[in-house]
Amino acid sequence: MNKIHPVIVLCMRVVLGIVFLVASYQKILDPQQFAREISNYHFIPLGLENVVAIILPWIEVFIGLGLILGIMIDGSSLISGVLLIMFNLLVIQAMIRGFNIECGCGLKEGQMVGWQKLMENMTLLITSYIIFNQKNRSFQLSPKTSLSE
Amino acid sequence: MITIPVFIGIIINIIKPKSLPWVAEPILLIKNQNDLSAILSEPEIREIGLSVAFNLHNDGTLFVDAREEEYIKEGFITGAIYDDDIEVLAAKIDTLVGLDRPFVIYCSDDDCGSSEDLAYNLQDWGFMNILVFKGGWKMWTESGYQVQENE
Repeated sequence: MNKIHPVIVLCMRVVLGIVFLVASYQKILDPQQFAREISNYHFIPLGLENVVAIILPWIEVFIGLGLILGIMIDGSSLISGVLLIMFNLLVIQAMIRGFNIECGCGLKEGQMVGWQKLMENMTLLITSYIIFNQKNRSFQLSPKTSLSE
Repeated sequence: MITIPVFIGIIINIIKPKSLPWVAEPILLIKNQNDLSAILSEPEIREIGLSVAFNLHNDGTLFVDAREEEYIKEGFITGAIYDDDIEVLAAKIDTLVGLDRPFVIYCSDDDCGSSEDLAYNLQDWGFMNILVFKGGWKMWTESGYQVQENE
C-alpha cells in the first residue's frame, strides 16, 4: 500500500476514534434499549443480546480511546475492522430478510438499516484498514513499534 | 485489548442499581383475553396475537401506531393514534385511557421492533398495562380487518 502522510493517518484515527466513542455513549447510558435493538436483528440466540449490550459498548470505548491516544493502534484498528465486518453482515442479513428496523448503531437516532448504513460502515472499514496498514505513525504512545515490525 | 473492556462492562453491570439481566427474557404472550382484566401491581408489557388484538379493537381498546410517519400515510388501524413526539403521545394516551388501563401498540410486522421500543418508552412515562401486537399492520391488513385511510 502507498504511504500516506502520518498526519492524514492521525486525522483518520481521530475521526474513527470519535465515531466509536460517540457510538458507545448512548449504548452505555441505556443498555436495555441497545439490547432490544440487537434483538430486532433476530440473529443472536438464547437471549444473549443482553451480554452483547453489556460488553460491546466498552470495547468500542477502548477502540476509540486507543485510536485517538495512540495506544495499541494495531489492535484497535484490527478489532474495529472485525466489528465493522460483523456489523455489515448483520445489516446485510436484515436487509435480505426484509427487516424494517433501526440500526442501533448509536450515531443517529432513528437511522434504519439499509444501503446508506452499509456504505457508512464500509467507509469506516476502509479507514480501519488504512490505519492498520500504515506503520509510519505520528502520536503513538504505546507500543512504539507495530505488530509487524 | 478485549479483556479489559469485557471486565469493565461486566463489573459496571453488576454494581449499577438497574443492572441488565445477563439473559434477555421474551415478552409474555397473552393468549386468553380474560388474562388482561387483572389489575396490575407492577407495570407490564405483554404481547398479544391477532385474535386478541381483534377482540380488543372491537371492545374499543385504544391502539397506538408506532410506525414512521411515511408508513402511516398508507393508512392505519381504524381509530389508532400516533405521534412522533413521545411527550405529546403520552399526554394523548393519558387523556384517552389513563395510566392503568391497557392499550395496544403495533408497528409494521413481527420483526419491526419499534412497537417494543415505544412500549418501553411509554412505560417510563408511567403507563402500567401495555400490550404489543407483534403481527402489526401486515398481519392486520392481510386478515382483511378494518383500516383507516390517511387524509
